[in-house]
Amino acid sequence: MVQLVGSLRRELAESLSTCKVLVVGAGGIGCELLKNLVLTGFKNIEVIDLDTIDVSNLNRQFLFQKKHVGKSKAQVAKESALQFCPSANITAYHDSIMNPDYNVEFFRKFMLVMNALDNRAARNHVNRMCLAADIPLIESGTAGYLGQVTVIKKGMTECYECQPKPTQKTFPGCTIRNTPSEPIHCIVWAKYLFNQLFGEEDADQEVSPDTADPEAAWNPEDTAARATASEKDGDIKRVSTKEWARSTGYDSVKLFNKLFKDDIMYLLTMDKLWKKRKAPIPLDWQQLENMRPQEESPASGLKDQQVLGVWGYCQLFQHSVETLRLQLQEKGEGSELVWDKDDPPAMDFVTAAANLRMHIFSMNMKSRFDVKSMAGNIIPAIATTNAVIAGLIVLEGLKILSGELESCRTIFLNKCPNLRKKLLVPCILDPPSANCYVCASKPEVTVKLNVQKTTVLSLQDRILKERFGMVAPDVQIEDGKGTILISSEEGETEANNNKFLGDFGIRNGSRLQADDFLQDYTLLINVLHTEELERDVEFEVVGEAPDKAPPPQNNQEEVNSITNGNKDSAQPSTSSKGEHHCSFCLHGCTKACRIKCFSILF
Amino acid sequence: MIDMIEKEDPVISEEEAAQYDRQIRLWGLDAQKRLRGSRVLLAGVGGLGAEVAKNLILAGVKGLTLLDHEQVSEDSCRAQFLVPVTAQGQNRAQASLERAQNLNPMVEVHADPGRIEDKPDDFFLQFDASWTPSEICIKKVAFSRQHRSYLRVLGVLGQLDKLGPTHQSQRHQPTHDFTRGHGVPGLVSALFGHDLGKVKCEVCLTGCSRDLMVRVDQLCSKHNIKVFCGDVHGYYGYMFCNLGPEHNYVEEKPKVVKPPADSNDGPEAKKAKIDPNETTMVKKTTSFCTLKEALEVDWTSEKAKAGLKRTPVDYFLLHVLLKFHTDKGRDPDPKSFPEDSQLLRQIRDDVLEALALSADLLNDDFISYCFSEMSPVCAVVGGVLGQEVVKALSQRDPPHRNFFFFDARKGNGVVDYFGPN
Repeated sequence: MVQLVGSLRRELAESLSTCKVLVVGAGGIGCELLKNLVLTGFKNIEVIDLDTIDVSNLNRQFLFQKKHVGKSKAQVAKESALQFCPSANITAYHDSIMNPDYNVEFFRKFMLVMNALDNRAARNHVNRMCLAADIPLIESGTAGYLGQVTVIKKGMTECYECQPKPTQKTFPGCTIRNTPSEPIHCIVWAKYLFNQLFGEEDADQEVSPDTADPEAAWNPEDTAARATASEKDGDIKRVSTKEWARSTGYDSVKLFNKLFKDDIMYLLTMDKLWKKRKAPIPLDWQQLENMRPQEESPASGLKDQQVLGVWGYCQLFQHSVETLRLQLQEKGEGSELVWDKDDPPAMDFVTAAANLRMHIFSMNMKSRFDVKSMAGNIIPAIATTNAVIAGLIVLEGLKILSGELESCRTIFLNKCPNLRKKLLVPCILDPPSANCYVCASKPEVTVKLNVQKTTVLSLQDRILKERFGMVAPDVQIEDGKGTILISSEEGETEANNNKFLGDFGIRNGSRLQADDFLQDYTLLINVLHTEELERDVEFEVVGEAPDKAPPPQNNQEEVNSITNGNKDSAQPSTSSKGEHHCSFCLHGCTKACRIKCFSILF
Repeated sequence: MIDMIEKEDPVISEEEAAQYDRQIRLWGLDAQKRLRGSRVLLAGVGGLGAEVAKNLILAGVKGLTLLDHEQVSEDSCRAQFLVPVTAQGQNRAQASLERAQNLNPMVEVHADPGRIEDKPDDFFLQFDASWTPSEICIKKVAFSRQHRSYLRVLGVLGQLDKLGPTHQSQRHQPTHDFTRGHGVPGLVSALFGHDLGKVKCEVCLTGCSRDLMVRVDQLCSKHNIKVFCGDVHGYYGYMFCNLGPEHNYVEEKPKVVKPPADSNDGPEAKKAKIDPNETTMVKKTTSFCTLKEALEVDWTSEKAKAGLKRTPVDYFLLHVLLKFHTDKGRDPDPKSFPEDSQLLRQIRDDVLEALALSADLLNDDFISYCFSEMSPVCAVVGGVLGQEVVKALSQRDPPHRNFFFFDARKGNGVVDYFGPN
């Protein structure tokens, strides 16, 4: 005879009250999740979040009130959730889950781990920790009206990294520096400019005209000639932007005329660029000041939503430069500022500089509100989407705790019902990918790079950490001697950082063993030496399509996988087009399409 | 406090803009302004009701009234998160008030301990324009926003005796004797002359009986008040809405940029680049039937029988659960599991027979999974329902028409239409 405690079978209710679960993140999904867990009867919960509460969180992170702004999310979330059930045991950590304190042993304490994260690096890391500890992980994400939940269990399902996920979009240097055509190009330029003037200077964030732009050359020999010529042209290349700005005392008018007049005039001399494009129109500070509108009409409505005139942005540029200059001065000699969308002068600066550039390149200028969205990578968020997803997370968790893993599903939340009338679309979980560079038994990848041009530091930061999600890599060369290239111990291999891989005898066909001991993860890297990589591309992982334009919609492969690979757990497909109507991209979806469309969630 | 202002005037303050930033970036400032001018009545503050309340308060409606006659029981604390564990014996709406209000001090939250059944018909009209004109299109009148003006209007309308103490904002107690009114005939006709359909107000019923919902739905339909219903039983939940015979909304569509007819290479032909992300708002209309019509679909017709294959069985499960509630005056109770299971089985047979449908359309499996309100199921249904209310109030984006069914065991969330074609 079935015995119920509330809605649940008695055995399930009992295991809820004894098991320990971990919630990673106490933000939008995390708050809703904690509430659901407590009300469902979970008694032992640990929650971790490194962040503090901001006023923009309050529209959805309902465990927080205005008085809590500035406090630790994990801590306040715990206190609020306890009110729903004072007898529950909740432990809060104001910390990063990537801290080595949270090792495999820590993860093994839990029967279940639930992610409520907003970034890929942490997701990769938790994925590996759960694989290492062999603990089921429930992954989820939301953006706007869309959401997704899935279950990851070692050996049974795909891990988070089995399917390659689209990487963050980057723009070619010459588009940013020479030929912007969209507001986002100007905004990226403005952020680079901020770093060049006030922050950490980065060789990949140049703002001056790119004389080596292949598009600018009338013939191929030209490009090389221009490149050498520019090296001799001290003004643009040899003196760093920051040094030059310093030498003028951060004079905003001088800065303005250099960036928005002189540099633009230089671009105009590269006439081939403007054969098929509208040429930029340089600005002159004095002219603009003379022509400025006499009457300032009083603005109505929200300040941030207004689009100012050109002179308005000139003034904004001047004010923000002055404020930032003072900030820098206050911090002291040799200091740097870090750009933050919530720091008003930093945001003002980017708004002004981006808009001035947009105007120069004949684009409609944007309000601070819109610039902030793009510059700050803000993802719109509401309470209801998070509420639905958090509910689904707990429901998957109950299946896991009942030992019903085969009934677990990936569930997509659409904005509109699909062709089968479904708003929530459950899909059967896929088995692990045999070639996964994380969960395969002996993960291996091949990386194409130039051993004479790739530094050890680059290998560590760009390849192992950024691309392959390691937190503290150790690298050995498989040369029979086990030469250590990189040690995770601070300082040990610092001397190697600026040397090239080739300097260590690494060449085409060499193998490197990279380990992350915290993640209990070993990756074998086959080096494929090449001298032909695309512009601005430092390395390529072999076997992956480069992240370019979206795949053509109606190619044969995709049609086949739609009809054959329907993973929907309801009745068999009755139509030949995509069953999963993706309201995001408005196409019938294959799984690949869904991953791409929902990639914003992950 | 009434805002007697033109619609175009900015009503969002800088404080609101900061708090609502992430949602304004999703649904736009205009939608936020409309929310800001809307009032909702929420009947039933159980698990589902609490979720809806939270979602609407966070969204930033002007006012929300929590109506519930039930008392807080021992189980209440497990069921919903607005009621403190120490509040046993208190009225559920009143016990939920403090935490609800703290979710967002910018929303006027009220609690009403009455029974919805006992409310006279015109109770529901109090949520419309007659004297809480949230969004009335009148010509700009030299009308101050002050308290006194509000009361002057009330006096003129002479309906003050109908206002109970719970319907006045707790923070704006009237200080004048307004029964004598100031008679502003022009203003009265200006107010009453206007289409009450311009008013943004809605009613949301959770955990109510079938007859009650049908009655409230019919009443509200007559007065252009949008109605939502919903409930959760164990692993199953549903939502229904009736937005009236003519619900207008806008949908954001990408702007189609036509390439120039000629394609000269000369620079003078090059126009300034249009932002490829530009969108345009398209106006649309859709119609809804009443709850009565939706529940009384005739399954004996050939067309209906043909459509049965694609019909979610959840619709029939809903009939079974509604009948249980009507017959027993309560929902299936875990404490009476054996008897209630038996009764559910019987009702399932009766309901399907009465609809002239086969008994194996809905098998026995559901029985042990429809007891009590499950928190995560309330969260899912409350999230969808809450968002539908927001969409209807802001008149943006196509509404789900007209049922949403959630089956937590399968992970299915289905939208389907039931009613006359």
